[in-house]
Amino acid sequence: MDRARIRNFSIIAHIDHGKTTLSDRLLHRTGTISDRDMQNQLLDSMDLERERGITIKAHPVTMYYTALDGERYELNLIDTPGHVDFAYEVSRSLSACEGALLIVDAAQGVEAQTVANVHLAMKQDLAIIPLINKIDLPHANVDLVRRQLEDILAIPGEDAIACSAKEGIGIEEILEAIVHRVPAPKETGANSLQALVVDSVYNTFKGVVNYIRVFTGELRAGMNARLYHSGRTVEIKEVGSFNPKPYTRDCLTAGETGYFTANIKSPSDVKMGDSLLDARNPAPPLSGFHEVHPMVFSGIYPIDASDYEHLKVNLAKLQLNDAAFQYQAESSVALGFGFRCGFLGLLHMEIVQERLRREYDMDIIATYPSVIYRVQLTDGEWHEIDNPVFLPEPTFIEQIEEPMVKAFIMCPNDNIGDMLALVSEKRGLLDHTETLDSTRVMMICRLPLNEILIDFHDRIKSITRGYGSMDYEHDGYEASDMVKLDMLVNTDSVDAFSSIVHRTKAEGRGRALAAKLKEVIPRQQFAVAIQAAIGGKIVARETVRAFRKDVTAKCYGGDITRKRKLLEKQKEGKKRMKSIGSVNIPQEAFIAVLKA
Amino acid sequence: MSTTPGTPTHGEPGWSARPVRHLYVHVPFCASKCEYCAFYSEASEGELVNRYVRALITELGIVANELAPETVFFGGGTPTLLNCRQWEQVLDALHRLGLDRPAEWTVECNPATLSLDKARLLRERGVNRVSMGVQSLDEDLLDRLGRVHSRDMAFRSYDILRQAGFDNVNLDLMFAIPGQSLETWQRTLTEALAMQSEHLSSYEVIYEEDTPLYVQLKAGRFDVDEDLACEMYDLLVSTARDRGFQQYEVANFASGAVGADGLASRVCRHNVAYWRGRSFHAVGPSASGFVGGVRTRNRANTRLYCDTLEQGERAIDQRDELPPLARAAEIAGFGLRMNLGWPFADFVAATGFDLREEWGDDLRWLVDQGWGELLSDRFRLTDTGLRFADQVIERLLRPEQS
Repeated sequence: MDRARIRNFSIIAHIDHGKTTLSDRLLHRTGTISDRDMQNQLLDSMDLERERGITIKAHPVTMYYTALDGERYELNLIDTPGHVDFAYEVSRSLSACEGALLIVDAAQGVEAQTVANVHLAMKQDLAIIPLINKIDLPHANVDLVRRQLEDILAIPGEDAIACSAKEGIGIEEILEAIVHRVPAPKETGANSLQALVVDSVYNTFKGVVNYIRVFTGELRAGMNARLYHSGRTVEIKEVGSFNPKPYTRDCLTAGETGYFTANIKSPSDVKMGDSLLDARNPAPPLSGFHEVHPMVFSGIYPIDASDYEHLKVNLAKLQLNDAAFQYQAESSVALGFGFRCGFLGLLHMEIVQERLRREYDMDIIATYPSVIYRVQLTDGEWHEIDNPVFLPEPTFIEQIEEPMVKAFIMCPNDNIGDMLALVSEKRGLLDHTETLDSTRVMMICRLPLNEILIDFHDRIKSITRGYGSMDYEHDGYEASDMVKLDMLVNTDSVDAFSSIVHRTKAEGRGRALAAKLKEVIPRQQFAVAIQAAIGGKIVARETVRAFRKDVTAKCYGGDITRKRKLLEKQKEGKKRMKSIGSVNIPQEAFIAVLKA
Repeated sequence: MSTTPGTPTHGEPGWSARPVRHLYVHVPFCASKCEYCAFYSEASEGELVNRYVRALITELGIVANELAPETVFFGGGTPTLLNCRQWEQVLDALHRLGLDRPAEWTVECNPATLSLDKARLLRERGVNRVSMGVQSLDEDLLDRLGRVHSRDMAFRSYDILRQAGFDNVNLDLMFAIPGQSLETWQRTLTEALAMQSEHLSSYEVIYEEDTPLYVQLKAGRFDVDEDLACEMYDLLVSTARDRGFQQYEVANFASGAVGADGLASRVCRHNVAYWRGRSFHAVGPSASGFVGGVRTRNRANTRLYCDTLEQGERAIDQRDELPPLARAAEIAGFGLRMNLGWPFADFVAATGFDLREEWGDDLRWLVDQGWGELLSDRFRLTDTGLRFADQVIERLLRPEQS
């Protein structure tokens, strides 16, 4: 296709504002999918993505559209993950485009995620086409949303297209806008192939399938190509596009999107965001590459030690389609052998753990998540610590720095007071407040990442009865008075329960944890002492009382079968508990600790 | 070892032996339903009871040729709810089938349902033991449990039994009833022991699903006080021992001289057969039997039970089959509810397995816990171990698929 008639675009939106419905509608209107194939949420292929209404894998689709000017255009939709945990993936997808459709829900207005995504799109210098979606809803307020676009995002309100993806209203206008407002791909001035690796998936038969956007030159099967940042040269086996199913093509030319395979066995051989160049005559690489670093760490352990190998295999499988997920073997005194896993953020962590449990049917325990602390020892040396177990004794520590985030919190005016209290409880500081409209504000705050790991988002939702939203970006490190909080079960420290917390919160958290554990650890034949300790000093103690007896019930001939079956079930249940010392701790205890 | 796991290593298990020596007969009718009871029973209607009696006699006829009963036990429900004419039909049938001369023949009764005529009839026709469901001698608690009898009826019925010539009587008592104090329990216990029955069964209230008591517990109408239940149990065990009873099982106490088998003469031989894993036939709606290593259960609904037997077939609707090792494990566990524990030789005879070989690790663990005692000829639970009998059984169980 002639470069002048190619348009590459993404869709960015807050969760549930209608991104997937619009994608499907565009595919349908351009005849890319038939009526029959128009099942909901075509692009989100993982169940979990559907359930949570988010897209994790960026999957490019090519559509052909004959515009009102009579010309036929190739429109490439490069899907983006919606969540900020995947900010790098979002920006990688965006950098493969010249334009972005920005969807805002007509009833909900601009949300935190809208702001974060628009910032990313603006950094990439994309043409932004604002869409006000769901205008068919009774509470739709198009004028208000237009004003919000101007006030909050500095996007001219009159540029916005009012539409309803669900009802098919305004779709034509959107397609025309893509043709006329999104620029055609530009030359980079290089004289040979330059292509951006946007994402990859693993295919059992073909190996790694890489999604790419070609900027300059062309990519053909049989070519020798160089992956600049990973330093590998590969022979291209197959190139193609998606419609939305993959199909083979002779070549991909400048401005086009698609995929290539090259007998690459392991996804870790390809770096996301890498530049693919002609091996014989390499052009300069595309700008904007950086390595992805996990921000949140958690240990994942099999409940049953004999599942270790099984877990290892499944983690490897998961990683095939999730290059950002990292893991390495580790062992825990309490939990035995397992893996230290690194995630982009909390949502990413939850998704991986959930997939292991559901898709791979694994019984796992995940330890309390940790961020990366920078620790300076008294000898002046700096260390990065992502596991409380490896935090040195306090006497060796000169100082600790913790990662910070800049958070955008949207909330109704009525909740400002409660929200400020929450931010300050989470050791955050309000930077400034922006008025969104007569009913809502956006608070821009600086908070420690560690404080928003667990329940921050849920708390915002509960304070605002669902109306608030939050997004964040990483914002450097800051010195902080952090201590290690240990939990002891019958005097054995359970490393899975350990955490690094701020000194002012350690005692309160210790007490809360001890109380929670008392609830979830079942009674045993002996008393179980649960203690919280900060640097060897016990700050809280609870006791799970011992059983004094079973129910001394009668048991005759007719009772035996039922009783045996009941006891068999109990025995099975105990197998699913983790023995620590002589104490059986159920899986729920490990989950409860996360929520305490 | 070269033997396949799950195959008896020391000869045929006792459960394969014929004839079957024990018979249980279930009478599913009650005057009213008690708050704690999950047993299958229904209010009696004249014609249904007659139909039941005919069906029961048919079922007895089917199993009779496999039986040579040493013990017979009529349980319920409330067996004494059958009228004298219905009882005569059942007793005639047992006589005709040659089942009416067991060494021990027990009938359960409720205090409110016993007339002197009925008691005499049973005694004359060979019944030699009665188990009376007293449960409590406190009027308030009897109401709480939904029992239809009063405290006076319990004393009166006991006198009737003695008058009719029964010299082997059991009293059933419950403790840890919601609202029961240690004092009320002590009073009931003292008064019951003063009646001088030969046998005492006493157990803690259990909250079974589908009972009103369970629903009330879940609704938070009362709390379970474990410490109090413990004190009540301790009081029971010590009081019964002081009065010369032998505790021979978690919830059972017997009087009389201790015989060569280590058991007091007035133990319930029928129940001992259950705990020893012996075969028994069971007839009547919802009755559970154990023959040839398989546990079976009859249809619970009396009308459906009758329907099936009127076709001339037994009304078994559940079969619980287990591999030999799993069955032996169950028998090992339930047998340890007896204070004597398991004599090793008896266990081999019952199951074909050696307790010390198959469960050696578990026995050692139990000893280490202070729950078990390993003697030269047998293994038994300590007083503490008996309080944790369920957990002991759980530990000894073997998975079904081995």
